[in-house]
Amino acid sequence: MTSVPLSPTDATLPKVTVRRQTASGRVALTLFVIALIALVAMPWWAKTGTIRMILELCCYIAVAQMWNMLAGYAGLVSVGQQAFMGAAGYAMFVLAQTFGVNPFLAIFLSLLVPAALAVPCYLLLHRLDGPYFAIGTWVVAEVFRLVASNMGWLNAGAGMSLNVMKDYSGFERNVAMSLLCALLILATIGGSYWFLRSRYGLALIAIRDNPVAAASQGVNVGRLRFMIYVAAAVGCGLAGAVYFMAQLRINPPSAFDPMWSNVAIFIVMVGGIASIEGVLIGTLIYFIADRWFGEYGASYFVVLGVMTVLVALYARTGIWGAISKRWDAPWFPISRHLILKAEDRA
Amino acid sequence: MQWFDALVQGVLLGGMYAQYALGMALMFGVMRIVNVSHGDLVILLSLIGISLATSFGLGPFWVMAALVPLAVAMGWILQKVILNRVVGDDPLPSLIATFGLSLALQNLMLQIWSANSRSLPGGGIESRSVEVAGIYVGLLPVIVLVFATALTLCLDLMLKRTRFGRALRAAAADVEAAAMTGINPRAVYASATAIAVGILGFAAVFQSLRSTVAPADGGAQLVYAFEAVIIGGMGSVWGAFIGSMVLGISQAIGFRIDPGFGVLAGHLVFLLVLATRPQGLFGKS
Repeated sequence: MTSVPLSPTDATLPKVTVRRQTASGRVALTLFVIALIALVAMPWWAKTGTIRMILELCCYIAVAQMWNMLAGYAGLVSVGQQAFMGAAGYAMFVLAQTFGVNPFLAIFLSLLVPAALAVPCYLLLHRLDGPYFAIGTWVVAEVFRLVASNMGWLNAGAGMSLNVMKDYSGFERNVAMSLLCALLILATIGGSYWFLRSRYGLALIAIRDNPVAAASQGVNVGRLRFMIYVAAAVGCGLAGAVYFMAQLRINPPSAFDPMWSNVAIFIVMVGGIASIEGVLIGTLIYFIADRWFGEYGASYFVVLGVMTVLVALYARTGIWGAISKRWDAPWFPISRHLILKAEDRA
Repeated sequence: MQWFDALVQGVLLGGMYAQYALGMALMFGVMRIVNVSHGDLVILLSLIGISLATSFGLGPFWVMAALVPLAVAMGWILQKVILNRVVGDDPLPSLIATFGLSLALQNLMLQIWSANSRSLPGGGIESRSVEVAGIYVGLLPVIVLVFATALTLCLDLMLKRTRFGRALRAAAADVEAAAMTGINPRAVYASATAIAVGILGFAAVFQSLRSTVAPADGGAQLVYAFEAVIIGGMGSVWGAFIGSMVLGISQAIGFRIDPGFGVLAGHLVFLLVLATRPQGLFGKS
């Protein structure tokens, strides 16, 4: 038996091209770039209140997308990503307030903390089986909260204020918040898209579909999961640092608020798991619902909870799943289509 | 003496945690799912019990007699309506469904009972104490520990000796092979969840007698149950029982060192076990 050469130059094989981008993808990419420019330009078209609202929206998108990467692709269901948001938030406050580092530089330096903490956390938690992993992440977030509540140099339960922001004018702060919003979206949404289109993305999609089969094809499942866990910790950390810089205050219950997990899970499940489009749709729904029904407090959360149950029972793929079943027009296409060259078909 | 006292208090506290952990160990062992609303169900049952006691003037014993059948029914309905649809190899649907349920239950309780802490009037039983070997221990925690031991023993005997227990273990080992031998897995699952939540009926009475309950407390109970199961080692009810004791002792000693350190000490022991013996103290590797 002779070996079959598989090089694309072989004349016996049909000439193909790999199509990655679609018309809908090009439109969406253009809109994405316009949205990023609009975010950067916010100080010139939006009031401070609007900028703060959009900043909150960007944080929801970022945290939800990080949860989506973990649960939707890597098979790591976490209910404790707030651990890394609080850790980065506190690191930023300590650097800027206690050590006098420029707060905007401190945001980036503070990302080292969630990255460093995520490594031992993953090494411990990956020993837990499926659903137990999720509760394990919750314990980690609780540990972080309790440690922060007991640490004197974090001002224990009373929390810290970011007084150094007084040195900047309102306009300067608006410019910084706008740039950070754009960066947050670029890093989490753009970064995820880039990652999913890469070699690693292909491996990640294989893991999503079947981890055992992926491993048998040579995908290093453990290493990829580890990478995603650390990356998600840094992404959530960036969202946390930006969010608490805008809040100007941090204390243990707000820094490690499980609300973030509730919201991320709601957004991703309702919008559509394992898709970037789903995160954007889910965030929009959550944000509008929060503005309209937030005043109803507890009963509003009862509805959110019941909706999450219903999605898990009857509509696992969420809204985007229903849309993409009917119309094949992805905003962030990541699949590869083989196209036969026309002259071969003739 | 102070540390011996902490040890005794820890074992008694462990009796409380064992009542949460047994049901969780049973459900995970049989279906490989974790019910995130486990703790919220304890709180819901406690609040129902307190309302029963105040509106009808029932004593703790009668509250328990009413709550346990109610809890069994709740577990059975939970399995039929939600869990049977999400049980499977993928852990995501069951986690998300019970997570949503937990969110809904917590806020529903907040609406009905407000955020106030309440407790069940025990008619003096909660403040009585007995002297054992030179230290005073509360009568109620001793009763809790006796109940926890009895429940563990009954569950263990049921799993080992009865026809239903064999069906349960068969379904846990290989659900398809069990189905081929004539076991209906859905029925077995429904009974397992009914038992798991039924045990929470006992836990609810004791929890609301020995301390206060508020709608937001469920998460902590879930975490304690989970830690006890992992510390003890999966797959055995006695593992969950011993794990509860280890967790209780860790917290009691932690509280003696510093009141802010108690719960954290329990978490740290859990992480230590995870780092050094991930299969649990009594688990098989």
